[in-house]
Amino acid sequence: MAPVASFAEVEGLLGIVVIISALYLQGQSFVDPTIRGISAQSFVISAIFVILYLQSGDMDLVYLAIVTAIVRGILIPNVMLYQVRRFKHSLRETGMGLRIPSLVIMGVVIVIAGYGLYKTVLLSVLPNSLVAVPLVLILLSFLLIATRRNALMQMTGFLQEENGVLYAGALITPSIPLLIEFAVVLDILGVVLVGVILSGTRDVLRTLEAPELEQLTG
Amino acid sequence: MIAMDQTAIFVILLAAPAAGAAVSLLPRDGVEILASMLSAGAALAASLLLLVFGTAGDFGFFYSDGLTRIMAFTISAVFFTSVAYSAFYIKRIREPLIRFRWYYSLLDLFTFTMLLAVTVNDLGFIWIAVEATTVSSALLVALERERTSIEAAWRYTLIVSAGLVASLLSVVFVYFSQGTLVISTLLTKPVANDLLMAVAVGFALVGYGTKAGIAPMHAWLPDAHSEAPSPVSAMFSGILLPTSIYALVRTFSLLQGSAVFDAMRNLLIGFGIFTALLAAVIIGNQRNYKRMLAYSSMENMGIILVGFSLGGIGAIGAVVQIVAHAFAKSSAFYEAGNIVVAFDSKSMSAVQGVVNRLKFSGYLFTLSCFAVTGAPPFGVFVGEFMILSQAMSSGNILLTVLLAIAYVYAFIGLNRQSILMIFGQSNSPMVDAAGKAPPDHAVRENLLSLAIPLANLVISLVVGLYMIPVILQAATGFAL
Repeated sequence: MAPVASFAEVEGLLGIVVIISALYLQGQSFVDPTIRGISAQSFVISAIFVILYLQSGDMDLVYLAIVTAIVRGILIPNVMLYQVRRFKHSLRETGMGLRIPSLVIMGVVIVIAGYGLYKTVLLSVLPNSLVAVPLVLILLSFLLIATRRNALMQMTGFLQEENGVLYAGALITPSIPLLIEFAVVLDILGVVLVGVILSGTRDVLRTLEAPELEQLTG
Repeated sequence: MIAMDQTAIFVILLAAPAAGAAVSLLPRDGVEILASMLSAGAALAASLLLLVFGTAGDFGFFYSDGLTRIMAFTISAVFFTSVAYSAFYIKRIREPLIRFRWYYSLLDLFTFTMLLAVTVNDLGFIWIAVEATTVSSALLVALERERTSIEAAWRYTLIVSAGLVASLLSVVFVYFSQGTLVISTLLTKPVANDLLMAVAVGFALVGYGTKAGIAPMHAWLPDAHSEAPSPVSAMFSGILLPTSIYALVRTFSLLQGSAVFDAMRNLLIGFGIFTALLAAVIIGNQRNYKRMLAYSSMENMGIILVGFSLGGIGAIGAVVQIVAHAFAKSSAFYEAGNIVVAFDSKSMSAVQGVVNRLKFSGYLFTLSCFAVTGAPPFGVFVGEFMILSQAMSSGNILLTVLLAIAYVYAFIGLNRQSILMIFGQSNSPMVDAAGKAPPDHAVRENLLSLAIPLANLVISLVVGLYMIPVILQAATGFAL
């Protein structure tokens, strides 16, 4: 009996879910749904690693799935949510003068441009069209980081970028050495970033208009 | 020197700062300075042995060529002087973010990661080591616990990490194309897929370029350099930026002999000269003297990238400039630290007439500024001259003219500002609010705070006058 769906079809479906989740994050103005969104996205990425393991049989991908689910799916998002709960009201992005619809439209443009870039430059050397998904995810992460001022929102962008690059690595060359080590180093860096926020020394709502920060211009 | 000995020296080179990082955390007063000084001394001795007796080749986990050994020596030497200068500087920080034993431990760890990056024989480990430099140095930037320093640390960590993810893609693409990440194997292997490797170098440019302060990815650099404590600024400018350039150049050198080599070389030259010109123009408009030095570092990194990309005598010039700039710029940052301590301000307008109060520091700062902007006979001049010669001999008139413009702009911009600041008319009141000595009263300067920058400045001079044959001999084994 033929399987209901091939691995490639499931991978493709999950790839679409990942892109939709990235656009969802791009469209959020409140911090807590954004954090929950990155947690969900990390679980989807983790599931993709498991599927890639079923295809390749490379055990490293299972470890990568476990690290992704635990660190970026549970640990870091929960620490970030703990920080959010310290504020009585919901934290909201103060923005860079751009409204949410504009940000989402920019996100869609990035998706189209990223896919176009893949098709014109990389398709001939990387024939698996799913590679476009992590590349677009990384580009959307840059957009998320660049268009937000709230530290937790920027942190979400960093986690998404990490998801994207590890996804790209596992998809392009599942046998690449040090993949787990790459993930661990990136997660340590994520923990350092969260540590800066958690220490309270870096106000999560800080804006560039603060008078002292005038010194950091020029 | 037999191969096994050289491996053992590499191990000592890395083990020394790693051990220093661990011992510094022991809860005993003063142990952190002693441990860091001893580990810095051991690392410097090991790097000198490698520089003088080392041979090129594959040593298992380690890779050695002229560039590796020169980078290891430069990193160890600036580490040594920064630890020594820290003994003077950091106890003056009123409310440090972390305990001093943590400061020294992180400084040792930071050096360990840089030494690992320049000695390891694997592109994947180079990426891990460069990423780890960010982890180990983030808290060092924020040590002074001011709002600006915390913000600078945040921007540094976030921007650099975001950029470095791009360089991880570069590593992935190299592996996909070549099937290995081992440098010694990669250097002997013809490029299997030109397009993939070109994309890999492009991602390396974005990723490592962000960390090296290459425009337009340089946004973190002036903030982190100006807000970090001076010994840390010296290490950032003198050795961290070149370590990132090293990682980029290692990736670029894999393209040797491929069809895309010239195209990617032109891309790197374009980014390098753009960085140098942008920084040269900005230097002269700074109001904060540490930011001014930061932009000077950016200008130097742009020129060094151009030198490596040009190859030949230009690549040798880039190596000379890395060494000379590391010593001269660390000297300038130590002097800037003396000025910060005496005036409690980083604003140029608040420290006019430095020489009236800090006579020797004032003169040394001025000389250091001349050194980093390529005044003869300092080493930076020799390096810049070699790069300019290569540009001329390659027949690229536009690049030659742009390089000359960058040199002149940076020279005038930085030295004009520094001379105005050091020798300008003091506009401070006779007695300040904190009861400190007014700026026109000379204060007794700490001997340690003068000896260390003076030593580095002299080394920068010696590099220009006497060390070129040594560097030429050591660097000729390098692929570019």
